[in-house]
Amino acid sequence: MSIEERLSQAEKLLAPWNKETLHPESNRVDVVISGEDLRLAVAALQDAHWGYLSAITGMDLGVESGQLEALYHFCNGPAVTSLRVRLPRSNDISIASISDLIPPAALFERELHEMLGITITGAALSDRLFLPDDWPDDVYPMRANFTTDQAAPVQGRHADEAPEQGVVGGNTFVIPIGPQHPALKEPGHFEFTVDGEIVTAARMRLGYAHRGIEKAAESRNWYQNLYLFERVCGICSHTHSMAYCLGVEKLAQVEAPPRAQAIRELVAGLERVHSHLLWLGVAAHEAGFDTLFMYSWRDRETVMNLLEQVTGNRVNYSANLLGGVKCDITLEQAHAIKEGLNYLETRIRHYLEVVTTDAMFLSRTRNIGTITKEEAERFGLLGPTARASGLVRDVRVEAVYGSYKNFPVSAVTETNGDLEARCVVRLKELLVSCFAMRTILDNLPEGPLTARMPRKIPAGEAVARIEAPRGELFYFVKSNGGETPARVHVRTPSLCNWVSVLEKAVGRQLADVPMLLAGMDPCFSCNDRLVTVANNDQHETWSWSRLREYGIEYYKNR
Amino acid sequence: MNTETNLGWANVIDRVRDWARQNSIWAVHFNSGSCNGCDIETLATLTPRYDVERFGIKLQGSPRHADVLLVTGPVTRQARERLIRTYEQMPEPKFVISIGSCSIAGGVFQDCYNCVGSVDQVVPVDVYVPGCPPRPEAIIDGIVQLLTELRGGKARQPKHVTAQEIPS
Repeated sequence: MSIEERLSQAEKLLAPWNKETLHPESNRVDVVISGEDLRLAVAALQDAHWGYLSAITGMDLGVESGQLEALYHFCNGPAVTSLRVRLPRSNDISIASISDLIPPAALFERELHEMLGITITGAALSDRLFLPDDWPDDVYPMRANFTTDQAAPVQGRHADEAPEQGVVGGNTFVIPIGPQHPALKEPGHFEFTVDGEIVTAARMRLGYAHRGIEKAAESRNWYQNLYLFERVCGICSHTHSMAYCLGVEKLAQVEAPPRAQAIRELVAGLERVHSHLLWLGVAAHEAGFDTLFMYSWRDRETVMNLLEQVTGNRVNYSANLLGGVKCDITLEQAHAIKEGLNYLETRIRHYLEVVTTDAMFLSRTRNIGTITKEEAERFGLLGPTARASGLVRDVRVEAVYGSYKNFPVSAVTETNGDLEARCVVRLKELLVSCFAMRTILDNLPEGPLTARMPRKIPAGEAVARIEAPRGELFYFVKSNGGETPARVHVRTPSLCNWVSVLEKAVGRQLADVPMLLAGMDPCFSCNDRLVTVANNDQHETWSWSRLREYGIEYYKNR
Repeated sequence: MNTETNLGWANVIDRVRDWARQNSIWAVHFNSGSCNGCDIETLATLTPRYDVERFGIKLQGSPRHADVLLVTGPVTRQARERLIRTYEQMPEPKFVISIGSCSIAGGVFQDCYNCVGSVDQVVPVDVYVPGCPPRPEAIIDGIVQLLTELRGGKARQPKHVTAQEIPS
């Protein structure tokens, strides 16, 4: 089906509740509906199997407009349909929950509630998920009139109180895990209720790494934000800045030159190799297989070297610019990358053999945490976690973007859906990426590296979807025509994949929990000012302008 | 035994302790809201290419076994009290290495509503390692600076142990 057919089908399905149709982008149709009709409209899309719910974006249209807006983005291949629900801008507004129809919506709705103060009726009550425990009630950071001083900690309410612990009754215990725990490499908090060794309930609390990036983005200009979004996640930083760039370029109606797009795909490929090898090491470590951890991290240094050669940085590469890329690939670099890929491919094949034959590793992965294709679809899983269950969720294939039309990749799927399948999918995917990177290096298009971008981005909205190493990354960028964005909403793949852990831990042994956590490759986190440390007690912070002057002086005198 | 010899023995034991400490630093890593960049580089420091284990440095799961707290990230409000608790659980003498620009002054996350801003506003810091993220070599250099200070008898100097109250 073509994009137009898909969009007209969606329009037809939503016709009974349609109040207004908008066409913000060529591949997107927005349908304005009222809050009461939301559940009916969602059910209609779901019954017809029209795509999946990708994200829910909440927006405050400003104090003068007196309106809030919630956008329910459904994606079907490259086509996107957003249900827009407009709400008055007051403190007691509510919207019906759709989490019983679409389970992953529960987390998105939680975000809508905490960030914008939209009460979700019919959702299972839960504690705070993102904001700190000592955050005052009725203060919502994504509201337009929010200021930091409104968010002073509430006295007497402890951030992070000690979790309920100990005997709940009989053999039942609550075991808290995290945010500082040997089985976790990143901060998150989980409470597993166990009966003997068997997990009977699971609960999670995020927000230890919640920094408030989306709000910060609204006060920084388009270029500064590039570096801010790169630091949403230090592991897949390139895909974050690439998604942001694609969104902004769409708004400005600028297309990056072919060479730049190819280099973007190349760096994304290298990043995927580094990310998956990193994951393999961490997963092996959780399984008690530290030898594999050390080997895969040793080999990962090869790709870190390549990334450093190409971009100058090991992590947070800043390869992207609005309208292109910063770094070119010379012949020597291409040669070095190819040599590195040769070595990596041999090693990846070796690891593929290890994870499918090593008896000890298999005892921790085979038939554990199995997710069927139907479950994967219902939970809204993304990326390798979904592909291991046979569900093809790969934006590079479904909604081709950037240079993937010239240098296509195929989606790797497995059918078993257990932890072993997830290992195999990730490793096979690397071989596909290596092949694509080689093709790019052999056929790198000639031409400039950047296209000219305007300083002010024209008003509009854009959705950018990208396949990050962990799954679909969703960016919603809105401009009012100024020097700063009006709203940037980020939905990272890990948020969708949590359900796989929480649902699958129940009924398993507690000992499997670290592997289940590692199995989805969680990523919790998903310009600068210079500091001169004079001594331990005093430090001096330089302002941006002083740093700039210092830089100019330094290069003058050099 | 008279007092003088007592003092002499105490001195010898202290020096043995210093020597042992320099050669077996156990570290615990705390992520206080970092983007993962520094955490990954910290972990890379322990793996074969950089291999700080050859200096006796080992990453430890529990703060109760650790000498050094490696903190990354701008300290989010939710992580703040857990950081203090982790610090207080460590046995004396203890040291803190703050890794990365955001843990030093907030980095790109300056003025974000959920960030305290820097690690030294929450717990006393001994070594700062700048960078976004710092290279493993820089992290090793930070550790070496700490070791140099330990050689100078830093562990025997009294220092305040309670976490500082953050100015609101």
